[in-house]
This record gives sequence, C-alpha cells and structure tokens, in this order.
Amino acid sequence: MALDRKIAYINLSTGKIETSPIPVEIRKKFLGGRGLDAYLLYNHAPQGCDPLGPDNPLMISGGLLTATCASATARTHIMAKSPLTGLLGSANMGGFFAPEMAWAGFHHLVIKGKAKKPVYIWIHNGKIEIRDAAHLWGKSTTETQWAIREELGDEDIKSAVIGQAGEKLVRYANVMTGIKNAAGRTGMGAVMGSKNLKAVAVRGTMDIRIAHPVEALEHNKRFIDGITGAKVNRTQGSLGTPFIWGATNSWGGLRNRNFQYNQMEYADDIEPERLDEIATETIGPHHMTGCFGCQVHCRAQYKIPSGPYAGKYDEGPEYTSQGAFGAEPDCRSAVTVLTGNHLVNQYGVDNLEIGSMIAWAMELYELGIITSKETDGLDLRFGNDEALLEMIHRICLRKGWLGDVLAEGGIPASEKIGKNSFDYLIQVKGMNNLHSDERGTPGLALNIATASRGSDHLRSRPAIDLYHLPEKVMRKIYSSPVPYDGPLSSEHTDYEGKPWQVFWHQNCYMAVDCLGICKYHTVFLGATLPNFEDWPKVIYYNTGLEFTPVELWEIAERCNNLERLFNLREGLTRNDLKKGDMLNHRYFDEPTKRGAPDVVGRTIDRQKFKKMVDEFYNHCGWDKQGVPAPGTLQRLGLDHEPSHLL
Amino acid sequence: MANETEKLSASETLRETRTFGKVRCHNPSCMERLEPSPGADHIKCATCGMEFRIFWVRPDLPRIRGPVWEVNRKIAAEALKRKLETPAGKSKAKEGV
Repeated sequence: MALDRKIAYINLSTGKIETSPIPVEIRKKFLGGRGLDAYLLYNHAPQGCDPLGPDNPLMISGGLLTATCASATARTHIMAKSPLTGLLGSANMGGFFAPEMAWAGFHHLVIKGKAKKPVYIWIHNGKIEIRDAAHLWGKSTTETQWAIREELGDEDIKSAVIGQAGEKLVRYANVMTGIKNAAGRTGMGAVMGSKNLKAVAVRGTMDIRIAHPVEALEHNKRFIDGITGAKVNRTQGSLGTPFIWGATNSWGGLRNRNFQYNQMEYADDIEPERLDEIATETIGPHHMTGCFGCQVHCRAQYKIPSGPYAGKYDEGPEYTSQGAFGAEPDCRSAVTVLTGNHLVNQYGVDNLEIGSMIAWAMELYELGIITSKETDGLDLRFGNDEALLEMIHRICLRKGWLGDVLAEGGIPASEKIGKNSFDYLIQVKGMNNLHSDERGTPGLALNIATASRGSDHLRSRPAIDLYHLPEKVMRKIYSSPVPYDGPLSSEHTDYEGKPWQVFWHQNCYMAVDCLGICKYHTVFLGATLPNFEDWPKVIYYNTGLEFTPVELWEIAERCNNLERLFNLREGLTRNDLKKGDMLNHRYFDEPTKRGAPDVVGRTIDRQKFKKMVDEFYNHCGWDKQGVPAPGTLQRLGLDHEPSHLL
Repeated sequence: MANETEKLSASETLRETRTFGKVRCHNPSCMERLEPSPGADHIKCATCGMEFRIFWVRPDLPRIRGPVWEVNRKIAAEALKRKLETPAGKSKAKEGV
C-alpha cells in the first residue's frame, strides 16, 4: 500500500545506500511530499551549509497519495537549500516521475555528498544503483532521458534529469522530466549538478494496495466530475495555462518591460488563442495532453512553425513562458515565445527566472547601467527577439561576461554590475517575481512578499481574489475548516481581509503539496474545486489513514512553520530587501501606467502593507519579526526540532 | 466516522453557483456579468464602457480574449489623468509617472 513506500538515503561521496520505512507517526505529522521533505531538510542540512557543497541534502519525493486512485497525483517535489536564495529551495513538477518512483518502492530520496565523476541513480523495484553518467554529461534534458532508456532497454523508464544549465551550476537551473515538466524554481538543478548527479531514473512494477479500492474509485469519479466541470479547467483543457496570461494582461496585472508597465498592449500574436492556433496547425486538433492521473489536460503539444528552430517539437508553453519571453522583454512574436520555451526546456533552466533576468538586464542596458562592453556588443534593448534568445544561450552556457554574471542570480549579479542596478531587480528573497504585477492587488503582493521560497505565486496566492466573489461565497470557503469571522473583501484592490486569505491559501497549497496532487485540482484558480473538507475521504479510501479537515489544516501549518524555521535559521529577517518579507521599492513608489481604470495609477501603500504583514504573522502565530512564537511551536509539536527521527 | 457522511462539502455546494454563457468585465471596480450573444466576437460593458474581444472555448463557454485596445487605452488614459490631478497623484507624478 502507499504507506509501505520507503525512504532511501544515498550518499554519492561514499556510495553507501540505506533504505528504511516511513513510520506512520511521521506520516500523521507531515503526510509526505513537500511537508516531509521540509522535515528532512531541517534535520539533515547543517546550518549555513554551502548550497552547492556536498553537505546540502537533496530530497526527491512523491506525496502521500502518489500513484493511488486519487486524481492528479503526479507531482514530484524536490527540496534542498537553494543556491539562488541561500534559503529554502523547493520546486515541484508534474509528469510521470513520482508515480513511477512509488511503483519502484520509494516515496522519498535523500541524496547527500558529491560523486567524483558524473553519475546517475537507477531505481528499479526496490533496488538502487549508482551508475556512470560520463556519456550523458553535456546532453540536453530530452537526450538524456532517451539515452538512459536506450541503455537500460526500457522505454517506460522515467527520469528526473538536469540539462547543461544544471551542469554549469546556473543558480536557477531546473530538474526536468518528460519534455517540459520542470521543477523549476530555486535552482534544484544546480544542486544536482553540484553533486555530479545527471539523473535519477526509475522504473517500477510493485503494486500499491489501495485500502478501500471500490470506494476509492467511486469517490474519485465524483471528484473528477467536480474538477472537470469547473469553467477554469474546461478553459485550461482547451487553451492550457496561457489563458491565465491572457486574462491577466487584459486588466493590467502583468509585468512588461521588466517592471515599467503592467500591461502589454497589442500583444495579439502571443495571446493564448494564437498559440492554440499554432498547436492546431502543427500537431492537429487534439494537441492537449496531461500528466499522470489527470483529466484536465492543460499541456499543449506544438512544433515551432518558423525560424532557426522550425519543426522542433515541444510542449507548453506555460503562461510563465509567455511572460518570460513575451511581456517582460517586450517581444511580441509567438515564434520567439515558443522558441524561448523550447530552449529553456532543453537546457533545463527556470523560464521565470531567466526571462526576468534578461528583462532586468534590458532595462539596465537602456538606462546605460550596462553597455555594449558588458554585453559583448549585443544590442540588449527591449523588443530585440534575437538578443533575448542569444542571452538564453549565454546564460545557460555561462558564455561571456554578462552571461556568466546573470547565471549567478539576481542579487550576486547586481553586486557585480554595481551602480544602482539592484533598484531595478524585481525580486523577493533573491528570487525574481512571476511575470505578474501586483501593484493593483495587495493580497497578491502580500503573497509574493511572504512566500517561503522567495517571490512566488504557488505558495499562498489567493488567485480567486480576482473573481469578485460574493462575500457569502468567500465566507463559505474561508471559514472552513477553522472558523473565521473577520473581514473579507470581494474587491481585489482592497487590503482588508487579505492576510487571512493568504494564510488560508498558504495552508491549502501546503496540504496539496504534501498529498502530491496538482494545484489545478484545488482552490487555486477555481473557487468550487476541492479543499480541506474534501480530502479526508480521498486519503482514507486510498491509504486507510483517517484525518479530519482540521487535522489536515494543522499538518499544513506544521509544515509551513518548519519551512519558516529553516529560513530563519539561514538568515531571513522581516524587512531585509534581500532575504526578508519585503518588496522592491518600485511597488511602493512607481504607480502603474496601464490597465483597467481601477488598476491604472496604483501603488502598494507602505503603511497598509506593513499592517497586512503584521496581521498575516498574527494569523500564522508568529511575532512581529515573523518568528514562530513558542506557543505556536508547542501547539504544532515543533518545539523539539530538529528531532532526527528520519 | 466523518469520512462516511454524505454531507456535501463547501466546494461541492458552491458548484451550484457556476454560471455558463457569461463573462465578467475585467475592470476591477465594475466586474459586471456580461452575456455575449452566441458566437459574438466582442462585447461592450454597459456599466463602465470597457470593450473586450471574445473567444468561445465551447458554445456555452465564452472568455475574454483581450481588450479592444483603442477603446480601453483611452479609458485608462483618462482614468490616469484624473488620478494625477489629485494632490497625491501629483506627488507621485513628480516621482516619474
């Protein structure tokens, strides 16, 4: 059954491999996936360890429900100390890797040390082997996966791999699986590269016994009906995640020309409908596909229609690539977006981070803070599609002065570039923001400021805040599973009630990440999608474990507090612009210039922002500096961490 | 046990509120529900005047493809001008709007 999947400790320095069961008591405290990884990180990473050194443990995991009958349990979670931020490193990808790892007998891997030469790990039905990867080094992410399948003679092998960006220790390199599934934030690919670990390959045929199979299947059908009936998922099944970019651009919530504008006008060629046309023209009408056990099918398949990469097959693009290679650098060509998407997938690098870094460099270039001397003659102006694509190559291969500097991440790069370059870097805790502009949406601004892995929309974003839901509906969602009778506002331009929403979503998304399911199957973009009240049955039917909704909420709180403890231990302080819960000054000082009438001319009010952070900390049970109070740690059973039980 | 009750969860009860055939105006202070005619390729919000291009995901599921730029740019420019005429707005303007 799911609960008998093991944890493996693999030391690449010594070659020692140990496995052990995961005690049920640990499951009851952390479930699995991201939550249990946070426990392992806090217990196994020495304080202040070098993120690219052998002491940094790399965790790869599935969630509690991975590979069961539950819907969309495809997610693989990866955690380590981040080489990008020096704080929590955490990334999550779809595809088929984690279910295959579960069928091979494992839910969690803890990889330590550093191999003397390139290696890959091969896991097959309970057995683990460290194999030579010299012949794989230098290959792209997809070439690597096929080479492993060919070598081991099994086309069903799934691999989590790095590309050249990970090998070159680009500090925001991805771990990838499949064509475009990316554990793509905080540089987990660089951690793999630092260990000379090219890939983890898995193949399994070990059954997972379902505790109550008939009920699990029946309940899953009900679940699927609810999920596929949501308008948001029907739209995603047709247009993929680009529909989010389209809607956000429509009202003025996108970053354009780094952070100068909040809307990309006349961007018709990169609108989701246009990208869908290209996918239809190059693949056919049935070009949408999905991850393991998912019915939404939000991933498009396409071929690049023209240009130097014409005919190359890829998948996506996600809305993040539209932002990274469209709006942020002000490039308006679908071919450029699709090509940029292809390049980052092959190199294995975070599209969000690299797009933001290049857009930042473009603004610095136009301001004269960097010149053609630093760019080696490249005309790095906004809207220069060729320069954008050239910079992707240079960063991933660390070519030229600027390519090498930008590969180090925003804060180190700003220190090398000097002058006032840092003022233009749109980051939190050292990680660049999503391609969205939160000046018109205080709740979303609070989310990116306080997210545990740096500026990020997938940790606590109350995205449904944009739907202008009636207060009655909001009250129904946000007063369960724990009571809440404080303020709530349907206006997404308001400050009131937003801290509770961010707190609620922080717990919701943590629970999802512990279970190993996709965020499109919860209250991320759809108000009517499952959350705490819906999960106990799924867990019970599939694993036999019994939880109440409140217990799941408390587990999520516990795991969020562990991540907070890790960040505090590694240097997070509340108002630190480089390592704190703070936004770039442009959010407060530069009003938006475009968008809907109620969005244009907006900034985040400093005092109201401070009050929101105070209130958010209070909901979390943290003091004014964002440190968990002793009573909070005691309530959540964290007062004796690290406890070294695993 | 709680797991065996057939009581609907909050998310399940909210599914009754799903509406098809309509979109919401993208102006945050408006958010009027707009019902495009079947197959229509654009719609104007009668409340705030913003105008949008429409795409049909399915015959019962329209979505806003994007603004009619000429119309909405003008509305935004007028709104920004009004805001900058306030004392607070003028102060921001000095900072480079």
